[in-house]
Amino acid sequence: MNAIVLPHRKVEDWKYSDLRGAVDAEAVSRAPTAMWAIGTAQGKLDISDLPRLVPFGAHGVMADIAASLAKAGRFIRIPKGESASIELDLKDGGHGRVVIVVEEGASLIIIEKGASTGFTNIATEIAVGKNACLTHLRAVPLNDMVSVADYAVMVAAGGTYRAHLADLGGKLSRTELHIALEGEGAEAHLSGVFVLNGAHTDITTHVTHASGKTQSTQLFKYVASGHARGVYQGKVTVAKDANGSDSRQTAKGLLLEDRAEIDLKPELEILADDVKCAHGAAIGDLDAESLFYLRSRGIPENEARALLMRAFLGDAVDQIEDETQREAVWKMVDAALAGLT
Amino acid sequence: MLEIKDLRVAVDGKEILKGLTLKVGAGEVHAIMGPNGSGKSTLSYVLAGRAGYEVTSGSIRYKGEDLTAMSPDQRSAKGVFLAMQYPVEIPGVTTLTFLKTALNAQRRARGEKEVDAVGVLRLVREKAAALKVPEEMLKRALNVGFSGGEKKRLEILQMSLFQPALAILDETDSGLDIDALKLVAEGVNALCSPERAMLVITHYQRLLNYIVPDRVHVLSAGRIIKEGGKELAHELEAKGYEQIIKDAA
Repeated sequence: MNAIVLPHRKVEDWKYSDLRGAVDAEAVSRAPTAMWAIGTAQGKLDISDLPRLVPFGAHGVMADIAASLAKAGRFIRIPKGESASIELDLKDGGHGRVVIVVEEGASLIIIEKGASTGFTNIATEIAVGKNACLTHLRAVPLNDMVSVADYAVMVAAGGTYRAHLADLGGKLSRTELHIALEGEGAEAHLSGVFVLNGAHTDITTHVTHASGKTQSTQLFKYVASGHARGVYQGKVTVAKDANGSDSRQTAKGLLLEDRAEIDLKPELEILADDVKCAHGAAIGDLDAESLFYLRSRGIPENEARALLMRAFLGDAVDQIEDETQREAVWKMVDAALAGLT
Repeated sequence: MLEIKDLRVAVDGKEILKGLTLKVGAGEVHAIMGPNGSGKSTLSYVLAGRAGYEVTSGSIRYKGEDLTAMSPDQRSAKGVFLAMQYPVEIPGVTTLTFLKTALNAQRRARGEKEVDAVGVLRLVREKAAALKVPEEMLKRALNVGFSGGEKKRLEILQMSLFQPALAILDETDSGLDIDALKLVAEGVNALCSPERAMLVITHYQRLLNYIVPDRVHVLSAGRIIKEGGKELAHELEAKGYEQIIKDAA
């Protein structure tokens, strides 16, 4: 949690009213949500609750900046029990904010497309309701942008959040996924493939098993060539009393050239006793023996290398259930692989 | 078809083949027999063009061309096939995809028309049935979780699909039970033709009961020390390598 600094009498505007002297900063940060009780109302009114917003500090630092600097945003709500799909295309750069609420029992597929130019910094807040389901697909072609995308996701009991990323990198691309599994049976499944030819991609995740009997899986694969840099920082926290949680985390990299770099940093923080957690990370080169075997069967070197890289990425791409979407990702990945060899 | 002259090959700076000479004509089946460490696998790898097997002197001519100047895939496209002793497991590549990719890569290199998915499937099914390779195996990742016998049968299936001019079988009999051995031998025999040459590399005589060679060459310490007809294989089995090597010295 980021510390709150309260105004005090040395701040000119607050010179005569020393808030810091009147209330403890710690107490302010822990104060509950105040809720208006609606009394007598007259006339045509539309009163509904604000979506439950992600608390300050749950996001990464850039999302807090986006949230404070974005002048507008999008609010997408899928009513209880409904199902929908939506394509989101970011045309212009800059700071942005999105709030998505998938209500109880509803299901939503989000397909994020394309990349704009320049600089973008988008903070997205997502609430997946009880027994609701959100599938989030994001394929980013090679670009020369500096982009930060931060998703803070809360998943209620029985809800499922799936995120499948494919990214060919940019000047600097950073994606943060902050996920809280907040009720029994909540699940998060994250996967991603990153084919980097000189570009930069950073995936930073933090999955919190706040409740017991929750499940999370992560499978990220990187191929790096040229001056590429692929980053995976993945933290899994299992809260105290979140017994029966199950977490698996895998990140693997193929380093094709010495000047490329892949940094994999899986991290586990377990505060409960009865949990199943597995994590693994490995970086290697293409297997010489496999390469020779394929070539001895007539497959030229470039094609053999592409075939092995495709095989390396396969299980991560196959996490995408929808065939059309999966094929679209393969198309992007295959073109990128052909450019590498 | 294949003419090897005074071939010397080093691996990691250590000389393994020390002046090997061998001539195999079209339509012939030759067996190379030798004890462990005699250079049998080195010979098969150097013919297939594996990196790290350095030809320090001598020559390998295949259909009149310098084989050592070709990449492994060029050799394959020109009709050289090595059935490997230890076929490699490749997770993530299904067997059928691999077969299709390989067949079409070879055809493309030869300037032939590629075969479409349906055509490949028909061809593969036909070969698979003859070798009792279940269809389900073709859908699995290449060699992953296959038994030793299944891997060897898949090697022979590839051979029968690619129709090479020169087939080299490296210890194809190892790890096979008698039924699998017969099946594999039948597959090999079905491919024998006047346009094709076979080099059967083996430690034991057993396989040669089913694939009958025209010539048998005994390899020891990187050189051919004795040659003869198919009866030489029986002599080896009876006397053992040690005696034959001693006699030849």
